[in-house]
Amino acid sequence: MNELYLGQIAFAFYTLIALAGGVTAVSAASLVRAMLGLVVSLFGVAGLYLLLLAEFVALMQILIYVGAVTVLIFFAIMLTRASADGGEAEGPGFAGSLRGILVVLVPCGILVPFLAVYGVAGFPTPKNVDPAQLGAGLLGPFTLAFELISVVLLAAMAGAVLLAFEKRGAK
Amino acid sequence: MNPILYYQAVAVVLLGLGLYALVARRTLVGMLIGVELMLNGAGLSIVAAAQLTPMDAVLGQLGALLVMGLAAAEATLVLAIVLVVSKRFGDASADAPAELKG
Repeated sequence: MNELYLGQIAFAFYTLIALAGGVTAVSAASLVRAMLGLVVSLFGVAGLYLLLLAEFVALMQILIYVGAVTVLIFFAIMLTRASADGGEAEGPGFAGSLRGILVVLVPCGILVPFLAVYGVAGFPTPKNVDPAQLGAGLLGPFTLAFELISVVLLAAMAGAVLLAFEKRGAK
Repeated sequence: MNPILYYQAVAVVLLGLGLYALVARRTLVGMLIGVELMLNGAGLSIVAAAQLTPMDAVLGQLGALLVMGLAAAEATLVLAIVLVVSKRFGDASADAPAELKG
């Protein structure tokens, strides 16, 4: 019984972190602050992964998202900003917020009733999967996806270099 | 109660926040942050479904890892595109490339 309460408290804590970070990422007037909110939100979701007993996914979340993707976003802010706030100081405005809320209502208005009506009855506790099983899955039934994602990453890297490449003396 | 519904609810909220940022932000980098939030919610939803239902747990966790890889590839490409846009139009707002020349 005690463990159940502990799990609920941990879930509430991580959810609070993830959602507060998400709200900051969406509403901050400065892009650097928005990126920091994204980092906080990613850490909260990593905690939720830990609660789901997916510790390998949680570690990869911290390594890939917090370690690599946010650095990329920070580079994007640094390399392009014209002013200290990155061009977000005036906010979305009334029309922008209205458009945003309307767009959010469409998928959420579909998904939430479906969840409420057709939500499956899951297990009370998550399954425990060894990381060795994940490796065996990558080398066994899911080899094609593993190879394809490497090709996608290579193509993205080559494309990024090609796009950002500047010929010497072009301008 | 039903734990999987809580996780799915958090994922839906993350999707909503990301969509709002995608529509309401003025700059391309702000939109990219929204897309990352949405992909994060998708990964959480996949892992929750894999760990709390009779579905193959290995498939779900590997799916979440693939989502992360795709997010990294997408962020790389968007960084390059943002660089090109800011070089060509002077700033990285989403409105700048939408104007017609004439």
